[in-house]
Amino acid sequence: MRTITQYLAKLKAQTVRVFPRRGFTVLLFLVFAGELGITLFVIRDLIFSDDQIQKMYDGSVLGLRQIGELQYEAQETRRSTLYALTTNDGNLQVSYADQSRAADHRVSAGIADYLAREHGPREVQTGKRLASDWEAYLKIRDDVLGHILESSAKEAVDLDLAMGVPLFDRVREDLEEVKRLYDERASQQLRVAARSSRRSVITLIGALAVTLLLGSIAIWAIQRNKMKSELQLARMQMDFVASVSHELRTPITAIMSAGENVRDGLVESPGALSEQGSIIAEQAGQLMDLVDQVLLFAATTRGIEYHNPRALEVTEIVDSALRNTARTLEEAGFTVEKQIEPGLPRIMGDLPALSQCLQNLIVNAVKYTREDRWIGLSVKARRDRNAVKEIEINVQDHGVGIQHSSLPHIFEPFFRSPQAVSAQIHGTGLGLSIARRNAEAFGGKISVVSEVNVGSIFTVRLPVAAKDFEVTPVISDESVRLSK
Amino acid sequence: MKSLRRVVTRVCFAASLLILQGGRIPAIGAAGSSPQPAPGSENSLAIVVNRSNPVENVTVRELRKIFLGQRSQWAHGRRIAVVMMEPGRPERVTMLREVFHMSEATYQDYLLKGLFTGDVFLSPKILASPSVVRKFVLNAPGAIGYLRASDVDNTIKVLKIDGRVPEDKDYALQVDARLAD
Repeated sequence: MRTITQYLAKLKAQTVRVFPRRGFTVLLFLVFAGELGITLFVIRDLIFSDDQIQKMYDGSVLGLRQIGELQYEAQETRRSTLYALTTNDGNLQVSYADQSRAADHRVSAGIADYLAREHGPREVQTGKRLASDWEAYLKIRDDVLGHILESSAKEAVDLDLAMGVPLFDRVREDLEEVKRLYDERASQQLRVAARSSRRSVITLIGALAVTLLLGSIAIWAIQRNKMKSELQLARMQMDFVASVSHELRTPITAIMSAGENVRDGLVESPGALSEQGSIIAEQAGQLMDLVDQVLLFAATTRGIEYHNPRALEVTEIVDSALRNTARTLEEAGFTVEKQIEPGLPRIMGDLPALSQCLQNLIVNAVKYTREDRWIGLSVKARRDRNAVKEIEINVQDHGVGIQHSSLPHIFEPFFRSPQAVSAQIHGTGLGLSIARRNAEAFGGKISVVSEVNVGSIFTVRLPVAAKDFEVTPVISDESVRLSK
Repeated sequence: MKSLRRVVTRVCFAASLLILQGGRIPAIGAAGSSPQPAPGSENSLAIVVNRSNPVENVTVRELRKIFLGQRSQWAHGRRIAVVMMEPGRPERVTMLREVFHMSEATYQDYLLKGLFTGDVFLSPKILASPSVVRKFVLNAPGAIGYLRASDVDNTIKVLKIDGRVPEDKDYALQVDARLAD
């Protein structure tokens, strides 16, 4: 059960890390992206439908019209032949024969065109049958025409009735069959187009409904999140004000007490006077640090224009941070174990800012460690295909650790973990926020791995300066120990 | 100027034939020669039948019998359809003079009497122009007609008269140049 709870907490933490506060905005974006995809899908369907209808028109409607014309021309062939029977004028008979032949050429060309255009087995079979029947009819037509021109009307009529009419009926049936095939195809294409249109409409309605629902949820969630964030920010600011007030009051009270003691003549001996002076100086120093941190946070929130980046040796940063925290470390009795990989390339950054980043991590380690007063500070190169791309600085302690539920929030400004508050560990909730902003200002990243009552490892990764981007050899670690 | 152009055209035509046939000039009027009129034969009067007609040669005597309606069928059994051109046409005049040995009036009289008495089995089809004659013969397997050699094409067949084709020098039927258009 506990494992599941831990897993869920971890998942939640990861989700929050992936979509920090903007999760629902991302969801909204995804909804619109999905909507765009569906719209494209529907457009594709509509184009397909349009294509089907166009095909139906080109293949079937035009085809039906052409077959209609063929039927007319076939009738014209026969009609013109029979008109020749109605006159004895040879000139007119020749004219009718001409008309009949012109019409039969149009029919033959139409059949050849149909056969060239159609490739389906039924269409080809019907087309070939039509061509064959038409050819047979034309032979009889020629004979009938010959008899008419030779003034053998009886033979012409007999031949036409005996063979011409049945053959022409077969041609008519073949043409009807072609029409039926076109009709069937047109119906099929119409069904496909109708199905596609119906699917598009259903998809569109479904997509709109889902979009509306998800969009509403996302907007509601964004608003709610925003309100929650603002409330949280307001609460944190109140906590910050209370915390800063408390932090301010402590040294001020000490300074006031020392001052009153001196004023009221309670301090007589030179040694006691010196002690009161030390108290005043020490408390004033704490006050100064506090004010500096607040001012520093205000500066980091305004961006990196206050930084002065240049190529830096990592040792410069580490040494600066250790130098600035040496007194704190000494007073608290901490041992710092430093491991720096030699020959590291330089990084691009601002020394005070990056030193401040490490100082905050070191001071936190001091603040949140009770018994095993040890800090590990290691620096090494991260390689990609033998080329050093990043420098990794680890600050490790054996302190109280951080609760899993607090991990996603520790880099947020003004955040203080409930454990730290209940343990009355003083702080402003700005140190880690400043550290992160300073690292990110130079393309770096900061992360943490922590376990309660075991300790924490804060890792700062900084990109290598462009001109130092080269292959470096791996050399064995060097250990330096600083002790009280 | 016009006659000069005609001479040049004919010389070019003869040269083309010479090139196409490898320099061998076919004998004018030889058996199996082209139905196209040779130089000088365009006024010959060709006797034409349908291409399906198996007859190749007729005598002037047979021709006379056929055209005067004294025969109703071809040897292969098909009914004969005689085609005449309209009165006054040079081709008709030539036929009347060279084959029928009649004047127009005598021929008309002969037809009227013959049809009345039954001596003439069929009346001829009177057609207006050479192209109509050509189309009629093309469409009617039993048709027989006449055309100037220059009006003949390969859709119809030209019969030999007494073994001679229109390109032959001693071909019997020649349209009088004075009547020609």
